[in-house]
Amino acid sequence: MRKLLSVISFLIASSAAFAQGAHDFKFNEVFVHAPACCGGDSTATCSKTPSYVDEYGQSASWIEIENTSYSTHEIRNCFITINPAVLDKTMSAPEREKLMSVIPAGDPRTSIGAKQRITFFADGHTNRGTLHLNFTLPVGKPFTLYLFDGNAVDLLDSVRVETLPVGSSFARINGDEWQVLEEDKVTPNAPNLVYHNDKIREFKEKDPYGIAMTLMCMGVVFSCLILLFVFFHIFGWAMNRAAKLARVRAIRAIHDQASKMVEMAKQGTTETRGIDMETYTAVIGMALHEYFGGTHDLESGILTINQTPTTWADKSHELRVTPQHHQAN
Amino acid sequence: MLLESVSTMDFIGSKLSDFLTYTGFANVEWANIIMIAVGAFFIWLAIKKDFEPLLLIPIGLGIILGNIPFKAAGLEIGLYEDNSVLNIFYQGVRLGWYPPLVFLGIGAMTDFGALIANPKLMLIGAAAQFGIFGAYMIALAMGFEPNQAAGIAIIGGADGPTAIFLSSKLSPNLMGAIAVCAYSYMALVPVIQPGIMKLLTTKEQRKIKMQPARKVSQTEKMLFPIVGLLITTFIVPSGLPLLGMLFFGNLLKESTKTTRLAKTAGSALNDIVVMLLGLTVGCSTQASEFLTLATVKIFALGAFAFIIATASGVIFVHIMNLFLPKNQKINPLIGNAGVSAVPMAARISQNEGLKADPHNYLLMHAMGPNVAGVIGSAVAAGVLLGFLS
Repeated sequence: MRKLLSVISFLIASSAAFAQGAHDFKFNEVFVHAPACCGGDSTATCSKTPSYVDEYGQSASWIEIENTSYSTHEIRNCFITINPAVLDKTMSAPEREKLMSVIPAGDPRTSIGAKQRITFFADGHTNRGTLHLNFTLPVGKPFTLYLFDGNAVDLLDSVRVETLPVGSSFARINGDEWQVLEEDKVTPNAPNLVYHNDKIREFKEKDPYGIAMTLMCMGVVFSCLILLFVFFHIFGWAMNRAAKLARVRAIRAIHDQASKMVEMAKQGTTETRGIDMETYTAVIGMALHEYFGGTHDLESGILTINQTPTTWADKSHELRVTPQHHQAN
Repeated sequence: MLLESVSTMDFIGSKLSDFLTYTGFANVEWANIIMIAVGAFFIWLAIKKDFEPLLLIPIGLGIILGNIPFKAAGLEIGLYEDNSVLNIFYQGVRLGWYPPLVFLGIGAMTDFGALIANPKLMLIGAAAQFGIFGAYMIALAMGFEPNQAAGIAIIGGADGPTAIFLSSKLSPNLMGAIAVCAYSYMALVPVIQPGIMKLLTTKEQRKIKMQPARKVSQTEKMLFPIVGLLITTFIVPSGLPLLGMLFFGNLLKESTKTTRLAKTAGSALNDIVVMLLGLTVGCSTQASEFLTLATVKIFALGAFAFIIATASGVIFVHIMNLFLPKNQKINPLIGNAGVSAVPMAARISQNEGLKADPHNYLLMHAMGPNVAGVIGSAVAAGVLLGFLS
């Protein structure tokens, strides 16, 4: 039974750990490349700045995924798609896999560090490498991106992307809040916001003398230790009380028993088994005296040693003289 | 033949002169000499004066080791060179995993019985943390950034591992100076504290005899690390690495079922980590990084922090005594033990108590605020980390 419980606990812990890693991957930014833009047949305004290019120098739509956790996780074997058919829950895993683009294993780039990102090109050319997907993003149409776990069944994240202005991207800015980033603010493979440690700046501006920090921190330190004090004060009191009650109960029980014995001795109803009644009464009386007067079960706990002059260690009391060491001739 | 021997001699000469450029003599600077002298002084203090030899000998030798001059030729020997042995040891300091291991050992060695028996002593441990925040305010006034000020101020907790842990997160560029400063002042506790204690107490107050502590049951001792962990980390999760390991170590000890683990954590493991920690912290004080104006300021701030911490602990006992009945007064000499230099600060209380009255034994009473100080400084570090990281 114990082994079974251990195995179950281990499995639960393992599955939780696995799920935690995969669910930390979130779509972070999406960019739709409009190839017709520079071809002259589009009414849309052409992009003013060059877009992000792949290893071959080709511009393509791209999808950025972020590991939102503070530890490294593998994104290999996960699936990305824009095909809504995969939401059909009756579909088997192999059928789903055919509709999605798998992120291949065997590439160290798929190991994503804490708060780091990976960018995939949605160009339909998987032969170009790990970072290329087998589909393209539709230009001028809304679509939904889906990210599935390695089992092709568990949906990790999805985002609905409306029609984007040319050159703009759709980015997750703050938690799950998404917004369209203008052309000059698109940030492929980089954080969507430039990170500043605002906390330090804020403290520097609003608490230049450190008084607020001192008050807050000392408040927290005192709170922690006061809570511990209260808990152990009450607990200690309860423990003491319980011990005292137990002692009182024991005394009462013995007292009752002794009273009964005295009563029985007086009445002469006690079985004496050949012992004289006087002896028997004396034994009981002695026991009672010991109990009520001579016992030492309720001590003050204070040890005192009064210094008394004594000659017990006096050299003159030594019974033998110090041995003399004679040098051998 | 002659030409050959001349060219061989040239070859040997050039190689020898090249070799000489690698020696310490060719690369030595005055700063190195000064730091080596500082290291030697630490070792002398440890051996001759018996000032915390377990800390000062590794740090002292580390300072000497870190200041042996050599040519920067990518030999992978220096502390700050990738893949060098010292650099590998240093990762425990840089990434902050030595301090929690030291806390594991402290937890496994600490008996919280004195604190549980008299829980009001916990408040002294909290009060002494004023040293941290007093130093924080002074550091801000001296022009340090809030994160640097916090890293420096934690010296006031008198807790080397916590100082290293926090400074590695908030102000890694000052960590070497902060660590050496924290450990130096911890070793100098017997020099710094008694004067302040005497200054803030009268002769009569120093003679106060405290009531003997009640007997603490094993159930209470077992419960303490669990309740302590829950309360402190629910309030300050950022202190989890230190508090978690401290209470884990203590549970190993008090559970009575894992005595072997507690012994290892408190002896062999702790000794290994303290050796590596002391050595690498000492090594990190390379003259070029260490001999700066900032270091001088840090040492000055560290002294202030210790003085404020000691004084606030003693003053807080005076305040507590105003509210306590006559037979439950606390001897203010245990106020200094609110800093978490365990058990040095408690020993100072004991020594000063014995000087005032040869029959007044304060050690066990002082251990209460002393171990509360360990918890208090770890909580303070967690709060600072939460506010500023």
